[in-house]
Amino acid sequence: MERRILITIDHDEIAPRFDLAMEVLILRLAEGGEIVARKSLLLAHPSADELCNLILERDMDAVVCGGIEEEYYHYLRWKRVEVFDGVIGSVAAVIDRLRTGTLNPGDIVEFSGAQA
Amino acid sequence: MNVSLLDILDALPVGCVVLDPHRRVRTLNAAMESLLGYARDEVAGLPCRHVLRSRRCIQNCPHTSDGAPSPGGRTDCLSRHRRIIPINLTPVRLTTDQGAVYLDIVEDLSPIHSLEARLNQTATEDSLVGRSPAMERILRLVPMVAGHSAPILIAGETGTGKGRLAHAIHKASARARQPFIRFSCGPMAEEILEAELFGKTAPAPQPGRFQQAQGGTLYLAEIESLPPSIQARLLRFLDEGTIQPQGGHPMRVDVRLMASTMTDPATLAAAGRLCENLFHRLAALRLDLPPLRERPEDVAFLLHYFREHFAQRLKKNISGFTPKALSMLHAHPFPGNVRELKNIMEFAVLVCPEGDVRPEHLPGYLLRQPQRRGRKE
Repeated sequence: MERRILITIDHDEIAPRFDLAMEVLILRLAEGGEIVARKSLLLAHPSADELCNLILERDMDAVVCGGIEEEYYHYLRWKRVEVFDGVIGSVAAVIDRLRTGTLNPGDIVEFSGAQA
Repeated sequence: MNVSLLDILDALPVGCVVLDPHRRVRTLNAAMESLLGYARDEVAGLPCRHVLRSRRCIQNCPHTSDGAPSPGGRTDCLSRHRRIIPINLTPVRLTTDQGAVYLDIVEDLSPIHSLEARLNQTATEDSLVGRSPAMERILRLVPMVAGHSAPILIAGETGTGKGRLAHAIHKASARARQPFIRFSCGPMAEEILEAELFGKTAPAPQPGRFQQAQGGTLYLAEIESLPPSIQARLLRFLDEGTIQPQGGHPMRVDVRLMASTMTDPATLAAAGRLCENLFHRLAALRLDLPPLRERPEDVAFLLHYFREHFAQRLKKNISGFTPKALSMLHAHPFPGNVRELKNIMEFAVLVCPEGDVRPEHLPGYLLRQPQRRGRKE
């Protein structure tokens, strides 16, 4: 079954904070892990409320983010959105883990060597 | 990392993040581990913005590649446990034999924020409440008039909340952290009144209310009680921004003046009890608080508001009113306005053991008054 996943990003890394993210990557992953569609969106300004609206409007199944405030975490969970929070690392490495179904909340995955 | 240095950092009560020149975490001290919920070994080598997750670091990193770090300041960070923590972040750059080392000193401001929240809660309890269109209009005006330094004249019957309105405006203004001084201009010998307001220099220097309110707000209640000579001196202050203490020289003071009266100010001016020039200067921003009898929709709201307020304060389980008690309360004209209603509810909640407030829990004078018809909840 296809899954729709939103990843909050900062260049080629996972954005450190959900509420301060300015860019998101929306993926559609086939059951076998193939990427069916990939689209990135630049946000007008950072806002956790608007991100939650976007996630619900686009009917996302899961969210991958860095730190997220408890209130938003529980809200998304209540809306039956799976939340992989506390993820640190490069977007490419995170997508690899998503495709293989091995990503977990709090994972620290490798960086692609981007400047700190 | 020198072990003894880490021991020293661990002993500090503030959080420390030690960074390499690429702003990757070398280590955290114990206070920082506790604040963020990360162990130092877990995050060693990670970019600091992913560990501290501070708004400041993400939006505008205080450490530059060369030169001194930019000044620190208040910001927030997000812990592993999904908690936003208000912090004071101080970036430090040290030059060592092996190159630059960066430090982020992080002070947890949660206790200060809790205290501020508590103080604000206290201020809210003391503020104006009302749901009627007339009160909502006044409440909408508060932030607007608070943004200016022009004097304010508040008119309203006794107990309508003139002092509370003045205080609410002060709290909403840029002068909120400065003093708010109340002074009732009731009957008093002119000489004493002058010293109380403007201060005196002999026999010993004594600051007046104006000096006490320096930088803040001076609220004068019952302004019509002031003798003409003092009113003229207030007018001078409004025109020139100066006052003259008894026996002293004129001095400049930075005070916002608010005044109130229980009588219609135009009537007072016409009767000569309020200097006409002063009236016009004060009435640049004039707010009229309506009596409770002219906003009956507020009575029901205030009865429940103060019932809950006093039940909480007195730790009692008071659920509401019996229909008869409510009918008696609605029939009362409340000549003392909100203050009287508040006093009645404090009495009722004090006397009522639990459950609904019944007629016998109301003050005796309400039980003796003839029942009126017409007003319902």
